[in-house]
Amino acid sequence: MKINLTLKIRRQSSPDEKGQFRTYPSGPISTDISFLEMLDILNERLTREGEEPVAFDHDCREGICGTCGAVVNGIPHGPAKKTTLCQLHMRHFREGDTLVIEPFRARAFKLEKDLVVDRSAFDRIIREGGYVSVNTGSAPEANTIPVPQNIAEQAMNGAECIGCGACVAACPNASAMLFVGAKISQLALLPQGGPERSRRALAMVRKMDELGFGNCGNERECEAACPKGISIRNIARMNREFLRAAICSDEE
Amino acid sequence: MKLDAKIPGGPLAEKWDNHRFASKLVSPANRRKYEIIVVGSGLAGASAAATLAEQGYRIKNFCLQDTPRRSHSIAAQGGINAAKNYRNDGDSIFRLFHDTIKGGDFRAREANVYRLAQISNRIIDQAVAQGVPFARDYGGGLANRSFGGAQVSRTFYARGQTGQQLLLGAYGALMRQVKMGKVEVFPRREMLELVTIGGEARGIVTRNLLTGELENHAAHAVVLATGGYGNVYCLSTNAMSSNVSAIWRAHKKGAGFANPSFVQIHPTCIPVHGEHQSKLTLMSESLRNDGRVWVPKTPGDKRPPNQIPEAERDYYLERKYPAFANLVPRDVASRNAKEQCDLGKGVTETGLAVYLDFAAAIERDGAEAIRKKYGNLFEMYERITGRDPMREPMTIYPAVHYTMGGLWVDYDLMTTLPGLYALGEANFSDHGANRLGASALMQGLADGYFILPATIGNYLAGTSSEPVDPGREEFKQAERAAAERTARLLTIKGKRTVDDFHRELGRIMWDHCGIARNCEGLEKAQTLIPALREEFWHNLVVPGRGPDLNQSLERAGRVADFLEFAELIVEDALAREESCGCHLREECRTEEHEARRDDEHFSHVAVWEHRQNERPRLNLEHLSFEQVAPGRRSYK
Amino acid sequence: MRNGVIMHWLAATLKSSIGRKSVMAGSGLLLAIFLFAHLAGNAMAFFGRATFDAYAARLHATGPLIPVFETALALVVLIHIYFGLGLFFENLAARPSRYEVVANSGGQTFASMTMPYTGLLILVFIFHHLAGFYLADSSTVSDLVRQNLSRPVTAAYYIFSLLALTLHTSHGFWSMTQTLGLSHPKYDLLIERLALAASIVIGTVFILIPVLVLFRPGFLS
Repeated sequence: MKINLTLKIRRQSSPDEKGQFRTYPSGPISTDISFLEMLDILNERLTREGEEPVAFDHDCREGICGTCGAVVNGIPHGPAKKTTLCQLHMRHFREGDTLVIEPFRARAFKLEKDLVVDRSAFDRIIREGGYVSVNTGSAPEANTIPVPQNIAEQAMNGAECIGCGACVAACPNASAMLFVGAKISQLALLPQGGPERSRRALAMVRKMDELGFGNCGNERECEAACPKGISIRNIARMNREFLRAAICSDEE
Repeated sequence: MKLDAKIPGGPLAEKWDNHRFASKLVSPANRRKYEIIVVGSGLAGASAAATLAEQGYRIKNFCLQDTPRRSHSIAAQGGINAAKNYRNDGDSIFRLFHDTIKGGDFRAREANVYRLAQISNRIIDQAVAQGVPFARDYGGGLANRSFGGAQVSRTFYARGQTGQQLLLGAYGALMRQVKMGKVEVFPRREMLELVTIGGEARGIVTRNLLTGELENHAAHAVVLATGGYGNVYCLSTNAMSSNVSAIWRAHKKGAGFANPSFVQIHPTCIPVHGEHQSKLTLMSESLRNDGRVWVPKTPGDKRPPNQIPEAERDYYLERKYPAFANLVPRDVASRNAKEQCDLGKGVTETGLAVYLDFAAAIERDGAEAIRKKYGNLFEMYERITGRDPMREPMTIYPAVHYTMGGLWVDYDLMTTLPGLYALGEANFSDHGANRLGASALMQGLADGYFILPATIGNYLAGTSSEPVDPGREEFKQAERAAAERTARLLTIKGKRTVDDFHRELGRIMWDHCGIARNCEGLEKAQTLIPALREEFWHNLVVPGRGPDLNQSLERAGRVADFLEFAELIVEDALAREESCGCHLREECRTEEHEARRDDEHFSHVAVWEHRQNERPRLNLEHLSFEQVAPGRRSYK
Repeated sequence: MRNGVIMHWLAATLKSSIGRKSVMAGSGLLLAIFLFAHLAGNAMAFFGRATFDAYAARLHATGPLIPVFETALALVVLIHIYFGLGLFFENLAARPSRYEVVANSGGQTFASMTMPYTGLLILVFIFHHLAGFYLADSSTVSDLVRQNLSRPVTAAYYIFSLLALTLHTSHGFWSMTQTLGLSHPKYDLLIERLALAASIVIGTVFILIPVLVLFRPGFLS
């Protein structure tokens, strides 16, 4: 089946310039293709017509690398639940729909060009302690420490985060707490993350605050927009970890 | 070109230990004087960069993506092999070694593969210590599943996202070193040139993908961990940015390229739906543990799958290979799918698909158990196709997935260019002519965490620690070459887009150098590719400017390299007049239509040497097998 | 030295996002406790004029405890407002460029969206409410309530403000538990339901008084 859409895309040629919306007819689009394939088709046409194509980040196109992402009609990654933009297929849209496509917006995510934003703030947060400090070669035999199955599963629930930034984009306050909560939870749940638990929570939260993200208002928009369905339970756990570290530990 | 694999002496099981002892060391105090460039931040790149930094070297790490955590290793679904024998099902280092050598159809080095099997266990230890949330049994121990090509259960996994979890572990280790100031990460950088000084690798020229600026980076050694080149086929399971450019540039500067035609076609991918498809999505091979592959017995049977009675279905893998059945290695499964479709038994509108059916497993284990095992894969399938595999069989078809070929490396992982190393999928080392499932993650991490950090001293210890000056003439020259090429791409101003050329190249490669190859087709490709390349350089249109974020320009540079490299694949496929592993020459088959390997003439690694304006020269590294007698691979 | 260290971590915690949110939750918790105490007092009205007035008299008889309690309460309110405003403006600054299309991804509720605004309404109401008591001529509490709430405009304003309070607490109570990290797979749903029930109880009981004054002529007389 083919449908025709109107695409209203925010264009901005560089970080400092002013952006503006441009409207393009999609032409007949197969409902079997993905959202990014639709943008590919548009870009092919723009290229032939001598206009610069729309810059957008993307890579694996199977919903795991976390590179892609834009806000479609106000919702990061578009209307389908638990789906990245690259996995969003056009069968979710109807003939004649208008799609307003915007980049992720947050003070901590600098806009680079068109739909491309700089999410390196996430790296800077992880750098502060989103890992277990273990040198290669120093690990004990893998089965030395048993980890209850449900704990491993819960840790995996947080670890599934793909770092796409949709949580920040969706949050009315541009808060990064789901992202940070997911990593802190994963490592707080697993015994391997235990020794650095307090230090990690304090350092990562401090960095997150420093980078200009907003504060969580418990509005659950992040959870609803997250393509991996990461639960805000991870934010509660982060709060707990942080308060425990701030009040009970001797870490500063 | 001199090929010395530098395989250490002694019994197979002791080679690696002997070699580590015999290897030179750089003293800890001197390590900080050495700078090492690591290109790529996937499993191999990130693990190498982190571990070398832990040892005290200064590391510069480059990646195309906006952050190192997005490299394509992240997309590996199924798992990672290790010879832990936790299941007590007869596994051992020797068995993993044996399976890998046999799976690779006896086209890999025994010593390398044995080392890989030895190291496999420590990778699991390392990953667990890093907080990788592997699946566990109720007792709290690590869980395992079985995988194609093996009769033991030795695959460790984290849902369907093992690659992601292992990569995030390595990325965490890398970020820790960044925090400690030992690694500097350069994201959104593409390597455009390798710089050699006096025949040794001493740096790279990169393009900053945000600004278009060219940058020179100097070092005492360069490590390429830039992944595979499957995208030469345009449609593959690789990420959109996966490319051959880094290793191709290195090849043109003198690094030998080994077995380029060894391209793995993965049997369980979601079939192609149309012209504008940008990539193919793999469904983890672990699905074959419970899924049964079948086609209708009658060619052209267009009934919906649920209306085809049991008696009219052909479970061809179970019929032809009773011992391994649906778990035959990838090449066998792919080839058979193509064969069934060629017979007109393919399903769906295109006729280019076979069924993967879970009905029997659901009936046996219950819907809940199956959903728990494969839930996220099923969701993924449904998202893409709009159909639910719990209710009707999946449709699958083979797609280009992994490239066993790559830069030739010796036992130390050094290429034929001194100071240049290749890791992970970018080298050719361990998988022979076919890679077993769950072995890519193992190899990438073995190379990065354990092998390179132990062997790089052999080179660095003999190299002056004087800083390399990035202002030298060699750098300027390389930078000029890169700038010129970029400028040229922008000035053609023709009519066809990059993607258009890429698609056509992909079609040529798939049609003539795909699952099955023959002399006639390959020779045809040899005329089609240069013609397409010629047109590319005269009729390409690249919009936008050079000093800017210009994604069309990025792709144009990569496709330009693919257009040169494609010819080398075809040349290699033509030269290898035997069927082995993933490389099926139609002329070389048994009466039963199975692959016929020719150990007498082709038990070697084909290493190609680049020559300016001349056809590449073929060099051979002979393979000898002392521990495993090359038998005919049989999965019957 | 020792003291310096303590102050340092405390200052750092109170500057952090989670620290300040915890202050919001903690002060919110105290206010919730007060609301329930207030609610219990109000409920005396349902037992008739005599009981209600006797309760008020008993309360007044506690003497010097009242100003202490009032000051503490005012302080908690101020803290709640101060931190709330701080977070509110910081949140605005965290997204300087708004979206062209503002849509709900599926988590937000009307209550969660309007927290700062219902908070503001409640603040204005508190002033009005207190003025109604402090500026009134001394008479029994029953008369006072009847006098104030028999004016339909005042009663309507009360009802409107109490609806805002209900809305505020319907998100606030649960939000408080989440911020303080009270989350457990087994109890999450229970906590969520209890929080909602508590806000409904608060809304219902408080609103019942102006409604009864308006529509049941004999109430409190």
